[in-house]
Order: sequence, then C-alpha cells, then structure tokens
Amino acid sequence: MQERLNQLQEEFKKDLQGSKTTKELKNLKIKYLGRKSTLTQLFAQIPALPNDQKGLWGKKLNLFKVKINLALENNVKIEDREEESLDLTFPSASCQEGSRHILTTVNEKICSIFERLGFAVIEGSEIEDEWHNFEALNIPLEHPSRDSFDTFYLDLPAKDKGKYLLRSHTSPSQIRIMKKTKPPLAVISPGRVYRPDEVDATHSFMFHQIEGFVVGEAINFAHLKGTLLYFAQEFFSCDVELRFRPHFFPFTEPSAEVDMSCIMCKGKKNKETKCSICKNKGWLEVLGCGMIHPNVLEACGINAKKYQGFAFGMGVERIVMLKYSIDDIRLFYENDIRFLKQFSI
Amino acid sequence: MKFSLNFLKEFLDVNVSAKELAKLLTMAGMEVEQLERIGRDWVFDVEVTTNRYDWLSILGIAREAAVVLGRKIKITYPVFVKESSLKERNIIIEKNQDCPYYIGRIIKNVRAGSQVNWLKERVMNCGITSVDAIVDVTNYCMLKWGNPLHVFDNDKIEGNVYVRRARSQEQFMGIDGKQRCLGKNNLVIADDKKIIALAGIMGAKNTEVDNNTKNIFLEGAVFSPLTVRRSRRAIGLDTESSYRFERRVSGVFLEYASLEAATLIRKLSGGVSGGCRKAGHKPKEQCKRIVISFCDLDSYLGTAIPKMDVKKILTNLGFSIHNTAKDKITVLAPILRFDVKREIDVYEEIARVYGYDKISPQIPFLTACSNTNLLKFSKHNNYNFKNQVRKYIALLGFREIITHSIENQKELRDLDDKEVVLIVNPLRKQEDSMRTTLLSGMAKAMRHNLNRSVSFLRFFEVANIYYKEAKGFCEIPVLSLGISGKLEGFFYLKGAIEELFNYVNPVRCLLSNGVKAAGLSFEEKSVKNFTNSLAITVNNKMVGFLGKLDRKKKENLGLKENVYFAQVNLSLIEDKSGENKYKPFSIYPAVYRDVSISLSKGVKFKTIEKIINEECRYLSNLRILDTYKGKDVPSDVSVFTLRVFYQSPKKTLTSSEVDSIHERIRNRLSQQEGIKLR
Repeated sequence: MQERLNQLQEEFKKDLQGSKTTKELKNLKIKYLGRKSTLTQLFAQIPALPNDQKGLWGKKLNLFKVKINLALENNVKIEDREEESLDLTFPSASCQEGSRHILTTVNEKICSIFERLGFAVIEGSEIEDEWHNFEALNIPLEHPSRDSFDTFYLDLPAKDKGKYLLRSHTSPSQIRIMKKTKPPLAVISPGRVYRPDEVDATHSFMFHQIEGFVVGEAINFAHLKGTLLYFAQEFFSCDVELRFRPHFFPFTEPSAEVDMSCIMCKGKKNKETKCSICKNKGWLEVLGCGMIHPNVLEACGINAKKYQGFAFGMGVERIVMLKYSIDDIRLFYENDIRFLKQFSI
Repeated sequence: MKFSLNFLKEFLDVNVSAKELAKLLTMAGMEVEQLERIGRDWVFDVEVTTNRYDWLSILGIAREAAVVLGRKIKITYPVFVKESSLKERNIIIEKNQDCPYYIGRIIKNVRAGSQVNWLKERVMNCGITSVDAIVDVTNYCMLKWGNPLHVFDNDKIEGNVYVRRARSQEQFMGIDGKQRCLGKNNLVIADDKKIIALAGIMGAKNTEVDNNTKNIFLEGAVFSPLTVRRSRRAIGLDTESSYRFERRVSGVFLEYASLEAATLIRKLSGGVSGGCRKAGHKPKEQCKRIVISFCDLDSYLGTAIPKMDVKKILTNLGFSIHNTAKDKITVLAPILRFDVKREIDVYEEIARVYGYDKISPQIPFLTACSNTNLLKFSKHNNYNFKNQVRKYIALLGFREIITHSIENQKELRDLDDKEVVLIVNPLRKQEDSMRTTLLSGMAKAMRHNLNRSVSFLRFFEVANIYYKEAKGFCEIPVLSLGISGKLEGFFYLKGAIEELFNYVNPVRCLLSNGVKAAGLSFEEKSVKNFTNSLAITVNNKMVGFLGKLDRKKKENLGLKENVYFAQVNLSLIEDKSGENKYKPFSIYPAVYRDVSISLSKGVKFKTIEKIINEECRYLSNLRILDTYKGKDVPSDVSVFTLRVFYQSPKKTLTSSEVDSIHERIRNRLSQQEGIKLR
C-alpha cells in the first residue's frame, strides 16, 4: 500500500508540473479523483485491511486526496493569473449600434415641445393643389406675392382645385385641417417641402418644415410671442432671446420674422474674430409667423369675427444646422456614415 | 430696392447716423439688407415686401423714415400751370382696363447726350445706370415718385400713339437689341406703322433717344398690374419699370412725375415745351374708411396700447383720423397705401411702429385637447406609428437614412412597374419624377459609403412613394431596409422583418402552431432585379417583399458588395403594438435532442418543419446548430445539425416521452424523399 501510495504521489507531482491548460488540469482531476482512478481503488482496498490499519490508511489516503484537491485549486489560479496578465490596451471591439437620422430626432423633439403645450401633431401630404397651396392662403395666382413661392408642378390631371404641385411650404396642412375641424385648434404639422432652388451649401430643393397654428376665441399676438419663446428656450437654451421684426406674409397680418440671439457668441460682438454662425450680427433668423389673416380663416369656413389665430413656420434643416454647427445642408441627404453615426436614437 | 441717403435727405431731415437709421427702419418692418458707403453718400438696399409698393418710391421711403425718426416729411409738389395742348399726335387707348391713364408731353430742341453730375450721382447710387441727362431725369422721377417714365425720339414716331395689344407674331426689338416675337398677352405702345415700346417694360430700339435726338416724346402712364405681369412673363423679362407697374402705381403721383420730369429736362438739357396731352382718366385712389375699435385692437394684440399713442402713430403714418365714438375711431389711409384694406392692416401699422418688443409674451391656455374631432383626426394620422417603427428598427441596429424623393423616370421604370408621376418643370432634366420605390435611394446611400471603404452597412428609411392610379395618384409611407456585404444577409434581413412584425402585431403564437407573428408569412415570389426574393404577406395580403439584388442590377447601380433589400408598405400594416399583453412562459425546463440531416437541394426546409410540427405538440423551438461544408459533402446537398427543443407548459417532460416523440420524428424524416439522417 505504502509503495503504491508513494508511486501515486510521484506520478501526481510529475503530471501537475506538466499540465498547463485548464483542460489538462480537469483531466488530472478525473485521473486522480475520478471513479476509476487509482486512488479510488486504494480506498476500495481499505475494508480488506486488518482493523487496526484501517484508520491509519484511511487518514493517509484522505490526506492525499485533500492534497490533490488543494494542488489542483492552486493551479487553477495559474489560469486566473494568465487571464489577469491580458494586455488590456488592445483596441476595443466595436459595438454595432443603430441610429435614427438627426432630422427625425429633431422633428420629434420639436413636436413634443409643442405637444406639452397642448398641440396635436398631424402630418399632411406632399402632393397638393394650387388652391390649398396658394389661393386659400391669400396668395392669388397672378400676383407678385406668388413670385416668392416658386414651385414644382406635377403631370397629373387637374381637378377643380387647380393644378397639382409639390407643396412649397407646410401651410396647406393648416387649410386642410381647418376645413375639416372647427376651433378650438392647436396643431403642429411637420413635413417635407419642395422648392426649385439650386442646390448649394444652404439650399436644397427638398427640405423639411414644421408648421404650427392655433385658432380660438381669444388668441392674440402676445400668445404667439409667448408660445415661440417657450419653444426657443426649451429647444435651444433657457437664456435664449427672441426678437420679432415686422415683415410681410400674404397669409398673416400682422406678420413677423423671428430672430434668435446667437447661440455661439450670444451677441457679444468680438472685434477680432467674426462669429462664424451669425457673422457678428448677434441674431439669427429662425422663424416666420403672424396672426392668421381673416381671408384664410374665411376660406376654411371659420367665422373670422368670432375666432382669431396665429401661425408660425420654421425650416428644420436650418434649425438643426444652427444648433449642431453643421455647415452644409447636403450632408443630410448624402447619408455618409461618418455623419449619421454622430447622432443617435 | 436701393436708395441713397442724400436722395432721402431731399425730403427729410435725417438727424441720425446711417447705421442707426438702418436699424430703426429694420425694426419697424423695412429690412435693410445692405448698407454701403459710396463717396459721401450711403446706399441702403432694402427688401420691399409685395404689399408695400409705396416703398418703391423715395417719397414712400421718406414717409416711413419720417415715422421712425418722429419728424415731418417735406415735399414740394410741382405746381400745375396751364399748358399748351399737344397737337402733333393723338393718343389712342384701345382698352381702358389695360391703361386707364396716359400722359404724353413733347419737348423740342433738346441737347441730348449731356451729363449732369448731381443727377448722375442720384441715379447711380440707387443702382440704375446713368445714360445722359434726359434718361437720367426720367429715372430720377421714377425713383422719386414711383412712376416709371419713358422717352422716345419724337421724330422717329410716325403718326399717332396707340396703346394696344400686340397682334399674334408681331415683331419687336427692344433697346437691349434682342428681337422678340409678341402675342396677344403683350400690351404695346405703337405708332401708325410699328411697335415703339413694350408697355411698362421696355422701349424699342427704333425710337431710342441718342446723341442726335432733337425732339423728345415723354410718356407717363398707369398700366394694369395684371396686364403688365402677364406681358412680362410671356416675354421673360423683368425691369425696374415692369417691377413697379406690376405692383401698382399712383395716378396722382403720375401727374407730378410727368410735370417735374418735363420741367427738369428743359432746365438741364434745354428745350421748349411742345404741348401736353392726356388720355383716359386718373383712376380713383380713394382709400376705404376703416373703423378701429381700441378694445378689439388690444385684444388682437394682447396688450393695452394707450389711445394717445395709437392716434399719434396713425397721424405720423399719414392716416387721417375722425373720432366717431368714445371707443372707436375712423381712419383713412394715406395716398399710395392701397395695401391697407381692413382693420387688421391698421392693427399691423400700429403694432409695428409701436414696437413688437413692447408686447409682453404670454403662454396661451390651449383647450384644443378637448376638441374630440381634432383628436380623432390626429389618431388616424400616421405620425406616431412611423416614429415607433423608426425607433424599433434603429434598436435592431440599423441606421436611418434620408434620400431624395425626386429621381429619374428611366431609372425608376427599371426598378418598379408602377406608373410614375412626372414633374412638369424639373430643376434638372434628369431629375424629372417622383419616386415609386425607395430602392434607388438606398442604393445611392450605400454606394456612397461602400466607395469609401465602409462595409457591412445596415440602413433603413421611412418615406413616401408616389405613383399614378386610376383615380388620380397615391402617396403612401413605406419602410425600406438594406444590408450590404453580410454572409447569409438574406436570412438576417428576414429575421429583422420578423422582429418588426413581432413588435407591430404582438399576437405572438408559439411555434407549435407553425404560425409566426399573427398572420405573417413569406411566400416565394419573383421580383424584378432580385435573384432570391420573397413576398411578405400578412393574412394572405402582400405587404412587401425582400430579396438579394441580382448581379446585373448590382453592377448597374455601382455597388461593391452584395445588397439585400426589403420594402414594406406601412399603410397596409395595422399598428397593434399598443395591444401587447404579457404571455406566461413555461416554468418547466426544456429538453433538446439533436438530429443530423442531409437535405437534397430539391427539397425545402419547410418540409422538415412541417413534419416536426405535425408529430410534436411540445415543440418550443428549432435551431440550426452547425452547417457542414466539408470536402466530403456533395454540392447538391445541405448538411446540418438541427436541435429540437421540447417543453410543456404543464409539466417536466420525461426522457422517455421526449425520446418517443423524437424517434417518431426521425422515422418520418428518414422516410421523406430527399432527407437522409446521418
């Protein structure tokens, strides 16, 4: 017995030194502690020993068993140390994320700001007719005011509302909604619009606008200012200021163009470097707005003596370019991955 | 419209710097786009909005400047004296509607070709080329009063002067030297033999004043804005003259302009009066009386403007006021303010001069959310659904792209059979129609990135497609998915579609029924330009397709990697994601058994699936473990290991139960033609 135990211990020592991998260690465990191992056989021989030696050998074999377990465990730590000595400065593996387009996320963000005030979000269609795009908006077809609204016309049979075209602003949605539902109304209408402008860094023939309008019994100009100020402060920053400049739109009276204090330089005119965003003007034009012209309300069958309303519109690309310092509008439609992945969900 | 400060100073004391004046004008509504110093003068370039044609004259601008500066405007109106009548020719107007009023004056013995410096400076600083004293005077008067005038060489006019429509194909050569063909849309000035001017737009070369001119005919008129607009658009021209006529000129100021021009010409270029003749009648320019209520004004603007301020502003603007009642006044707009037609126009005048900045912002309490009709309208709208779809697909790891809606009709016809909606006036010839599919947009975006050594692209887009239909046209929202360069990309895409439908229609059924996400199934369908393609159907209605772009199209579109594409019609899909409910899963463990299969090419995997489904009610999942592609595998056969999971919702399945089912499956599979068990 003693000889066989000694032999076993020698074998174990050799095998242990020779094992390097976890697999080999596992095999060792099976070899020395498994059901068919030599040690188990030795244990099986104990009952055959004389009684006074049973206890002694039992203890010796158990001691050996404990030693084997300990030795194996200690060697498992080799593997741990191997793992710990891994060079962690190697480059990381990429995580494959998805993303939404920046125009989509900004669109959603702007709409949700207005939803908080009680606006409903309703989209309109891109293919429109002359009546909804011009006449109902107080833009007679043969009038100089029509000239600032160049449009793409479509080859579709014209019906009673004039020729078909691609809408040049989201305002036709106002008309469609006001014809279908009577006040009180508060609607935000985002969408794609088209103008036959030559494409350059700041112009695209296809872009996105967000239109909003409110019609009710006591809606006034102060409400228009308040609503837009709330939007600007929520979207840009809480210390942004707005400036309303009198202007002209055929569908609103009074009308205004809205400038926002420059988010980059905050209007502080630096004589050395011209602010790249506002060119030291201190103000950036972001919105057009006004009180809805009674002619427009009447074209939709709304009593202009009882109800008043305001409307506003903004170009999404322009706002995104201002907020994120994007300098070329063409980047939005080029879909270069280096652009897309800068903006996430 | 450009105007110079010195010109303005002829009518107004300007006591502020040019920059300050520019700021004041802008904040009251006349946006100064550019301010330039030229010599000892400042040139303002202002945006004249289409409602303020009174700003097309220096007097109109002076009036505006007077209001913002709080000063009075000083005009000396020319004094009318008795003039001899023009006897040489008659002035005959064909239709009063086209030309309500025409004034002709002859000046004899002028010195053409002289230059007068102060006049030259006035005209040039307003952006008009200086010619000689005579032409410069006409431009000076046009700038001042807003009425365009024209001079003809009187000796070149043969007979009477007619204001008539051109006859079809009638020829005309303008002072720009271009020969043009006119038609009934063009209003012309003509003599007995020829056309001598395109009315309100441009004079003809045949009666142009040159250095040899001795006698001139000075024309001043009021032409119908619509007639001039149609005429100039038909001919493709736009001049300083037509610009003003189109927006309406004043008959009252016409008389002053014509008289002053004649006087100035005589003074600067010599000559004597050869008489004056008028045709037609000075059009009535009486503005409407408008009643303004202070109460309504305040509630429209949302602020209380003191009554004294209101009256002061209106007076400064040139309105005349009559007190009718305690809370109301009646106002009359000044001359040239044809844009003021109703009370809101007056409100705007008051507000802009008072200052929009003085109106404090307030947030309105919106009660629109109680408008059930509006809510209904909103619910039927696709907006929320499309955004949810975008979010979900982005979650799956795809990136959203936005591509152009306008493409080339030839390319579109290659990709899709739907009838294309064409654009009548495209910006570029090749971009002449609305797209009927999102495939080319996807291909363009992929090509751009693939050409920059990026690979394994996963893009998606949610946008509209447009096409002609029996009852007109369709504009519908569509989702496109695209993957490039991935091995087994087809099945990756198929998986994404399944996940999307699981989300949208979460009536998920366990595989034991063999039905995926309520009603979703894939049918074999050949699609143009795709080699492997499937139709996506929901409850047997086709809602989209997916496939691998065939080699020819892939090369044609310039794509460096294989592209797998899917398109789903979102308008055909009901959004039931909101109806999702928790479905309890089994607490009992699943057991699996593997089976190695060799499937001949002629037999479809779905045969195996069918057999397993028929034999087994405890099937919870099927997974392909390994696909073998070793040397000992013939090419007409697919070899793989299938792991079948068994699970019961009510108990733990015993080994023997599972074994017996698995044995039955193995038997049926081995009996099936084309299937061999390994």
